[in-house]
Amino acid sequence: MSALWMRQIGAVMRLELKRTAFSKRGWWIYCLAAAPVLISLMHWLMARRLSRNHTVGEDSVVFAAMFVWFFMRGSLFFGTMGLFSNLFRGEMLEKTLHYYFLTPIRRELLVAGKYAAGLAVSLALFIPSVALSFLLLGRHFGPAWTDYLTHGPGLSQLGSYVLVTTLACVGYGAVFLVCGQLTRNPMIAAAVVWVWEGLNPFLPSLLKKVSVVFYLRSLCPVEVPVPPPFSILAVETDPSPFWVAVPGLLTVALILLIYAAVSARQGEISYGE
Amino acid sequence: MSNVITFENVSRFYGEVLGVNRVSLTIPPGVTSLVGPNGSGKTTLMNLMSGLLRPTDGKIEVLGISPGNPERLCKILGYCAQFDAFPKGLTGYRFLYSYLRVHGMSDAECDARTRAALELTGLTGAADRHVAAYSKGMRQRVKLAQAIAHDPQVVVLDEPLNGLDPMARAEAIALFKQWGEQGRYVIVSSHILHEVDRISDQVILLSQGYVVAEGKIQGVRSEVRDQPMQILVRCDRPSVLAARLFQDDHIVEAMIRGDGKNLLLRTKDADSFYLLLNRVILESGLVVESVAPADDDVNSVYQYLIGGEGGTA
Amino acid sequence: MAVYKKTYRPYEGALTGPLARLLVIPRYAFEELHRSRFLSVFFLATFLYPLISALIIYVQHNTSALQLLNVQNARGLISINVTFFLSLLGWQSAMSLFLAAFVGPGQISPDLANNGLSLYLARPFSRVEYVLGKMSVLVILISLMTWIPGLLLFLLQGYLEGWSWMADNVRLASGLFFGSWIWIVLVSLLALALSAWVKWKPAAGALMFVLFFVTSAFAATINAVQRTHWGNLASVSYLVGTIWVQLFEGANKTTNGAVFFRSPIGEEIPLGYCWAGLIALVLMCLYMLARKIRGAEVVR
Repeated sequence: MSALWMRQIGAVMRLELKRTAFSKRGWWIYCLAAAPVLISLMHWLMARRLSRNHTVGEDSVVFAAMFVWFFMRGSLFFGTMGLFSNLFRGEMLEKTLHYYFLTPIRRELLVAGKYAAGLAVSLALFIPSVALSFLLLGRHFGPAWTDYLTHGPGLSQLGSYVLVTTLACVGYGAVFLVCGQLTRNPMIAAAVVWVWEGLNPFLPSLLKKVSVVFYLRSLCPVEVPVPPPFSILAVETDPSPFWVAVPGLLTVALILLIYAAVSARQGEISYGE
Repeated sequence: MSNVITFENVSRFYGEVLGVNRVSLTIPPGVTSLVGPNGSGKTTLMNLMSGLLRPTDGKIEVLGISPGNPERLCKILGYCAQFDAFPKGLTGYRFLYSYLRVHGMSDAECDARTRAALELTGLTGAADRHVAAYSKGMRQRVKLAQAIAHDPQVVVLDEPLNGLDPMARAEAIALFKQWGEQGRYVIVSSHILHEVDRISDQVILLSQGYVVAEGKIQGVRSEVRDQPMQILVRCDRPSVLAARLFQDDHIVEAMIRGDGKNLLLRTKDADSFYLLLNRVILESGLVVESVAPADDDVNSVYQYLIGGEGGTA
Repeated sequence: MAVYKKTYRPYEGALTGPLARLLVIPRYAFEELHRSRFLSVFFLATFLYPLISALIIYVQHNTSALQLLNVQNARGLISINVTFFLSLLGWQSAMSLFLAAFVGPGQISPDLANNGLSLYLARPFSRVEYVLGKMSVLVILISLMTWIPGLLLFLLQGYLEGWSWMADNVRLASGLFFGSWIWIVLVSLLALALSAWVKWKPAAGALMFVLFFVTSAFAATINAVQRTHWGNLASVSYLVGTIWVQLFEGANKTTNGAVFFRSPIGEEIPLGYCWAGLIALVLMCLYMLARKIRGAEVVR
């Protein structure tokens, strides 16, 4: 990749970060990212004051459930939707995309720069969120928690959660970038993706694999069963191995990004007028 | 590299709605004005030229570069679009600087070019204010600055004088003329016809998506043969001249105007009129102060070809 | 005399009434909604549930119809009781959430984005009237979906069953009416507040869902992590469901809400806290609206 291309991607990233990162308009995304930390913080503070008779193992299962059912399905999903679908659609609505289209940058690089900026912001928000909420959740156990982290499976679990979060940002980011580029109202497309991902545990094995959440759940260190009464409808499928899940997700994201780049290359500025 | 901007049989449709149809043009260096009523296709033509739109049919080349190749085109082209919108949260300086960085220039070069463009458009004092807080005139000027900051060879300006106060208008017009004289390609759309008259080396008249006429304004006027030419003659005895003129068939109308020394006449054959005038001067010793065409301006041509009044303010 | 004094004459004629001025907003809004085929079809589809309910009530009281369908014991299968009406309210309210997510964000954000607010406020039209006018769009639509069909069904059942049934079940009617209005005020204010703060319509619509679905998940997570029930305070649907049950049944509860608005048995939190939670949410929406609905915005 030439130095010019790197400079151009860097310039797009800087502009996008200035526009999207830590702007007042993104308050709801920051709330979504802060929510799991808040829950863990509350747990730590309350468990310190009140005596609780649960174990480190129980808390690690509780965290896994929180990670799958709340963090991935709620915070991260809607957060990445807000960040990535806004990259192109937001500029179309504000009628500012033509400024980019009038610079001598390859449209593929524009997509890459915007995606990289979205990824940087989402990782900066959600990795600290998952790491902090994990570390705070068992903090009230004191030395036992430290021991769980240093000598037990704690750190490797944390590493897995961070990896899953990163891959989720990569995967959902690519999905929502394309949604924002191709649909006038990305909310409808996002709702379809959300419902599809939500139905994943109940789908036949083959269909399960056509989703992001299947590969992400395969990488989670602690298995979370589907809660009753829905558990009777769930279809058991072997989790995807690491060497399939990670490259598989990255490949899906890459295909989506290539598609986004081709669309950008053929894109026009009409702003719906 | 070609040294003209060419449109070859270019059409653009928005679904079933016509944008421009079968446009074939050649635009040389200098100031070229696109003139036409609202919806005539001026902005579509500019968007096609700058690659923001793709033609449904036909071929466009800007100095030999296809608009489908933005990496090359946007190095030599700057476009001040009609949209009055700016990215949120940027100051005037940061707005220009950030998009110059996307060109791939170094930090120092971007800074120098930004400052130069702001200086040229009179925005140096407001450089550190947010663009959202600018007045309409300032927003127009910062758009102009953004279009020219990278020193393009082709400058496309969609209604660039909108919102500018008279002083800024005069400065902008002087700037466009200067660029034209430097050999740049300045393409301006405007509905303020007397200003178009002042700045244009040539005009392109558009109506309902079709090019009605193109070329130097006098040339365009002379091509409009179904409309008699208007000529204003200032002389000592206009009544004598009028009486003599009416003996010829090509004179349609003659009126004595103003202080009684102006004769405004309409003729179907300007060349015959000039020969006749020479004869009258020789025969009757008429003292002629001036002879000038009275309707070879954009406004008249606009009325003849498109109909209705052009904008004047 | 200055020129403006010679030429400028402010309007001194009679003004239309405040209500007529207020209804100008919904009149134009409905015209716009009517142009959206998706919203029109969706709105019509929301009457399917009340229509089926009406059919059930009718069939239950029509002996010949029961014989014809060979379901003489149908009365035992579906009872027209609190569950029937609470389910109707729950289903219709869930539908109205979708409608509000599509209609609500378009109410205020375009006016703010295009500096149109000054045009309203420059006329004899206060900020409160502006908000009420915008709110009336959602109030009318959601009323048509919730308490109006609900009360019509109640009247139909009362007519067919007799006055004594009506007198015995008057609490159902009041529950339907007041329960619907709690939901209407909440959803309308929320939609308008989000519309005022989030100028991008799809994002504002998405936020409506986030607020209902994600807060429910948030509440469930708090409950799971803290091993408590107090997390339900963060769930808007739980709060609404609890209040509905109280309005429909009083202290003698036999149900735990309906559809999306449930307060699971064993996870109750005191009713006063539920009311306080909802009032706090409404006050927050009003504050958000008061901050944004202003004639001019200063950009520094």
